[in-house]
Amino acid sequence: MSAPHDTGSGPGRVVVAIYAVLATAATFRSGVQILRDLQEAPLAYLLSAVAAVVYVVATVALAKGGRWRPVAWAAVTTELVGVVVVGVLSVTRTDLFPDATVWSGFGQGYGYVPAVLPVLGLWWLRRTGPREDRAAR
Amino acid sequence: MLPSRILGAVWTPLAWAVAVGALALGAWAGWRAVVDRPVILRQLIAGGVVEALMLVEVVVAVVKGATGDGPADPWTFWGYLLTTLVVLPVAAAWSFAERTRWSSVVLLVASLTVAFLHVRLVQVWVG
Repeated sequence: MSAPHDTGSGPGRVVVAIYAVLATAATFRSGVQILRDLQEAPLAYLLSAVAAVVYVVATVALAKGGRWRPVAWAAVTTELVGVVVVGVLSVTRTDLFPDATVWSGFGQGYGYVPAVLPVLGLWWLRRTGPREDRAAR
Repeated sequence: MLPSRILGAVWTPLAWAVAVGALALGAWAGWRAVVDRPVILRQLIAGGVVEALMLVEVVVAVVKGATGDGPADPWTFWGYLLTTLVVLPVAAAWSFAERTRWSSVVLLVASLTVAFLHVRLVQVWVG
């Protein structure tokens, strides 16, 4: 069993690993999109960039744990909100998103990993939380 | 040009070989995760073989690109290829730090990532 606060070891390594892969994919994809064809779908591509930054922050914060936990909470929560809001919008307001983002269709283009991962991340943060933290919830 | 044509015939099978090798490594890691065992040195050696094949891939792709017969979407292609190179070494480094079954799960995730990226690499090369 891993100690409290320790989000980056044991099963946490798996969470961090999947985050790292998604962060790399999102960063790279948005980089190419913005450098190459920003004018085609500015909202979608800038949103991709924001998503990428959030994934990078989440990866680092989860790997570090300890004092970084609040950062991890914020980043992972942002992802969950992002994937739900953008997921709904990408279905109902197709005009806003002429091209796909990481969060479009609830992360469809990435095997729905973007939808599952924040839930996994929140669960993991809660599980590794300090005792009083857990009791308060 | 002859060398380019030979390399062209080599590249796709090489990419598939890496994908299959990565899947095999992933299956091995997955099995060890199920039986609650960490990554062992023999798996890292197997990972080293897959990694060496990827380095050959890079050389072939560079030579092909230099002879004017490169990937249809070079940005995406090189991004994917450089990413696949990093994944296994990171998983290997972690397997030294994490001597539990979770290093096996990490190696499984890493192997699946490499396999998936290679499928995409083959697609992106053709365009």
